[in-house]
Amino acid sequence: MMTEEGKRLIWFYGRECPHCRALHPVVDKFMADTKVKIELLEVWHDEQNAQLMRKFGDAISEACGGSLGVPAFYSEKTGKAICGARINEEKLAKWAGVQA
Amino acid sequence: MTREIQFFIFRALSFMNGQNMNMQKRFWRCHVCNDIHYGIKPPETCPTCGVKNAFVLCDRSESLNIMSDVHYAIDTSADVINAWKDFAQRSDFKLWEEEESVRTLSEGVLENMRNKGLKFCPCRITTGDREKDLKLICPCNFKSQQTWKEYGECWCGLFVKKVK
Repeated sequence: MMTEEGKRLIWFYGRECPHCRALHPVVDKFMADTKVKIELLEVWHDEQNAQLMRKFGDAISEACGGSLGVPAFYSEKTGKAICGARINEEKLAKWAGVQA
Repeated sequence: MTREIQFFIFRALSFMNGQNMNMQKRFWRCHVCNDIHYGIKPPETCPTCGVKNAFVLCDRSESLNIMSDVHYAIDTSADVINAWKDFAQRSDFKLWEEEESVRTLSEGVLENMRNKGLKFCPCRITTGDREKDLKLICPCNFKSQQTWKEYGECWCGLFVKKVK
């Protein structure tokens, strides 16, 4: 079931970003363990997704150290973003507001 | 003095002189060997023929005309990686040791070259603001990034500080 727009947990990723590739199994496991749904949106090959990411640009840029980057996770509900290569299940849980 | 401080001083001096750094960049032509340089000022010594004070201001169309018969492209994964290796070899950082990830990144920059016209970092995303986006071309000015300061690597992990 799709989460209502405006309340989604979103993962913005890049197809050729190696850290995003490495994160896929981590995110899959997190979703399976917690039953939390994260929507995956690729940003280099889908301009609509890139535009959505830019819409949340302020929060994501801040989390990424000044510029938009991937992997980036954004919560439409809280406006909170986390970003970068060192994301793990614990950080995802804190961001999503659930128990790891 | 770190590169960041040097760059800050350079920018500050440019603004104090009433110059906009980007506006001041121009083409320069070596009158001996036709080397083309793009920058605020020309090199004192031509890096190709070695002649001193050889550069003269040149306009854009003439510069592009001079370069128009140069058919040189970095358009394969191997070319991109070789360029990165050559760049790293001359500095205090090296290329990421995970070859598969480096290859993925090289394919990403080539994909972005095909789709967006420039070799943007596949771990960033363009904003639509040209000046900001030019800073995302790989290799970017990664030593100014937090990841370099904290972990000794660029945002995507492609360039890693050499351990002494």
